Amino acid sequence: MKVIPVYIEAGITGFESPAAEYKELRLSLEELLLQHPNATFFGLANGRSMEGRGIFDGDVLVVDRAEKVTNNAVIVANFNGCFVCKIIDTKNALLLSASGEHAPMPITDADSFQIEGVVNVSFRLHKKIPSLLSCLV
Amino acid sequence: MFSLIDAVSFYARAEKVFDPAIRDKPVVVLTNNDGCICAVCPLARELGIPKFVPYFKVKSFLAKHNVIVRSSNYELYADLSERMMNVIARYSDRHYIYSIDESFLHFRKFTCIDDWHAYGHVIRKAVWRETRLPVGVGFGSTLTLAKAANHASKKLPGFDGVAVINDDIARKEILSRMSLTDVWGIGAKLGKKLSILGLKNGWDLATQSPKAMKSQFGVTVERTVNELNNIPCLNWDEIGQDKQEIFSTRSFGQRVTDGHALRAALSSHASTVAKKLRKQGSLVKRLVVFVSSSPHDEQYYKRSMIYEFPVATDNTLKIVEAVSHVFEAIFAPGIMFYRCGVGAVELDNSHFQQQDLFNPSINNFQLMQCYDGINHRYGSGVIEVAAAEKSKKWAMRRSFLSPSYTSKWSEIPKIIC
Repeated sequence: MKVIPVYIEAGITGFESPAAEYKELRLSLEELLLQHPNATFFGLANGRSMEGRGIFDGDVLVVDRAEKVTNNAVIVANFNGCFVCKIIDTKNALLLSASGEHAPMPITDADSFQIEGVVNVSFRLHKKIPSLLSCLV
Repeated sequence: MFSLIDAVSFYARAEKVFDPAIRDKPVVVLTNNDGCICAVCPLARELGIPKFVPYFKVKSFLAKHNVIVRSSNYELYADLSERMMNVIARYSDRHYIYSIDESFLHFRKFTCIDDWHAYGHVIRKAVWRETRLPVGVGFGSTLTLAKAANHASKKLPGFDGVAVINDDIARKEILSRMSLTDVWGIGAKLGKKLSILGLKNGWDLATQSPKAMKSQFGVTVERTVNELNNIPCLNWDEIGQDKQEIFSTRSFGQRVTDGHALRAALSSHASTVAKKLRKQGSLVKRLVVFVSSSPHDEQYYKRSMIYEFPVATDNTLKIVEAVSHVFEAIFAPGIMFYRCGVGAVELDNSHFQQQDLFNPSINNFQLMQCYDGINHRYGSGVIEVAAAEKSKKWAMRRSFLSPSYTSKWSEIPKIIC
């Protein structure tokens, strides 16, 4: 629930702030970046195969499980016991990379495969935060 | 219409949500201090691993079958529980969270739904999609029938995660396939007594005369029989009833022999009990304080003492003081203490306390309000009685703890690109 805090005022004050009536909630990054907060989790990108879609090593991926999966979407999947971030080709059952160096990976019956969610948002910290990088160890 | 929705082996399944490497493997979760197995995923159940056995007894068996062992990750379970409850809450106009993985729904203005079975699957699918937790969904015209349907949805062959009791055929079919103790409100003791009367299953119980049941077993069983016959007797306020006893107890991460450390642990438990008492508006009249070594030790040592307050209280200082009054009687040097705890076993309601002419109240409402206020605002444990100083020795042991995937930035899952 979003609540605008209203502070109790004692009787003795100076001039009331002329801006008091215009007070609104401050901008929230969550509100901007999370479509379905309840169904969303964060992960850390590891590898360079998605650079063509603007996802670099060490970026934070915002994974939305409630978003509809469409052809050519950037998704996170459980592929044989690992979380991977790829482009899904729903027509040919392929996992595509966004770089010239990685061949498309076919999804076969022998693979264990589940789509975990869609990545519509990722973000990068230009000054690295040590705690975040420790996930990669 | 009512519904009960709960997660299937919640702790074990929660471990799999952010760890794809163990999705297809048998997983068990251990209790506080890695003492016993408290949750078993369906794959582990197939191996015949029972719940509530001490971990050390099955350790080699688990290793032999490559079973994944995890300590209880309460940070993760709390987050997943909240997500699950949020999804479920969207599907009805009244929602009651009953436990970490169970919630009741009440559909009051949902006359448009004619296929409850299909609606159950809509809820199940949404929870699975958004949280990756499997749930069982049961519908019934009373809370007890919803609970019975929920049992059927998960445990009885022929059901696919959803069960609906909306006519007498379904009611008879499901109840007659349930044992007495599977019926909500029928414990092991009561189940035994009822089976002496020749009752075998839930349907046998439903066909008893409520009045006869009341005279023999009391009003609770009468209500259960009525509920099994589509007559609502229970409501939210009653299922969320105040606890009749409040305990705080835990085994030590490392054995404790030192009297000072044991006293500090008991004081801390006393303080926890006091906090819980105030939260539900209760006062304690009788407090039990107990200590023990491990039942697997050669010489099992176990002592408990009851302390009776002159007037019932919720004052942390007085409740912690009670520990000191009985401590000498239960402590013995040379014992490797494994477990201790404090329990409020006789409670009064703080709103209807009888005043005593000769024993003035020992409550300190203002102080406790301030104490709780500070801890609420700045985090639990910021202010604490000095006797309850924490020691690393009896911090919880969690050797197989999974990362806090959703609550620490340093532990979010790695995703290969």
